[in-house]
Amino acid sequence: MSAALLLALIASQVCLVTGELLMKRAMDLTNATPVPWARFVPRFLAAIACMSGWFFLWGGLLQRADLSFVYPFEGLSPILVMMGASIFLKEKLTARTWVGILLIGCGVALVSAS
Amino acid sequence: MSSEPPAATDAHPVPSRRSYALLAAGVMCVTAAELLFKRGAAATAGASDAGSLFGFSVLASGWTWLGIAAYISASAAWMNVLRQMPLHIAFSMMSADQALVPLCAWALLGESISPRRWCGIALVVIGIYVIARPAAQRKEQV
Repeated sequence: MSAALLLALIASQVCLVTGELLMKRAMDLTNATPVPWARFVPRFLAAIACMSGWFFLWGGLLQRADLSFVYPFEGLSPILVMMGASIFLKEKLTARTWVGILLIGCGVALVSAS
Repeated sequence: MSSEPPAATDAHPVPSRRSYALLAAGVMCVTAAELLFKRGAAATAGASDAGSLFGFSVLASGWTWLGIAAYISASAAWMNVLRQMPLHIAFSMMSADQALVPLCAWALLGESISPRRWCGIALVVIGIYVIARPAAQRKEQV
């Protein structure tokens, strides 16, 4: 695997996780009345920017490697998003949730390895 | 990340049936988008920027634009889901696309699935069930 490919994989994961965390923050704000638009807009736009970065990096990866190669790295994202949600959003994670995520991770690895 | 006032957490409602339905619709749109992106990428694989870090040339394919439309629909559903559901639960259930993409490739494109891949798909489905079940139970208790 080339250095550029590895860089693209890492960058796409960082973009995806950061984007999801920002989007969750933004959408949580829409539950308040009145909606605090001044706080919503910068988070929402930053989330869109991160996800756009992910989209083009992902497109580039698909051009050079097939889905079966890229998938194991994509399988990391639920684990990374969970960690981010726990650290930055203070979401409560149960042992059962971790077991579930581990199963999904193993499943994705098996799907991509075959 | 700046700290949010407690009101943001208090305003967080319990996920409704509608949230789960929206999540399911989102997963289906993402699966369609993945398959369309793959077709778009395959159709433009010989483009001049094929070796560069960013794959902007995928935009030359109509399949990619169909994929974008499916992805926008999924995003709209996803944003609505996030208003109610904790991110780690919603996102892990979104991993259903990891099982759905090979299943759709099998059902629609006639690709074969090895026993090993079937096991992987089963693990993903079980993992999602393990995560989803207590979330649904919490909903019933409240």
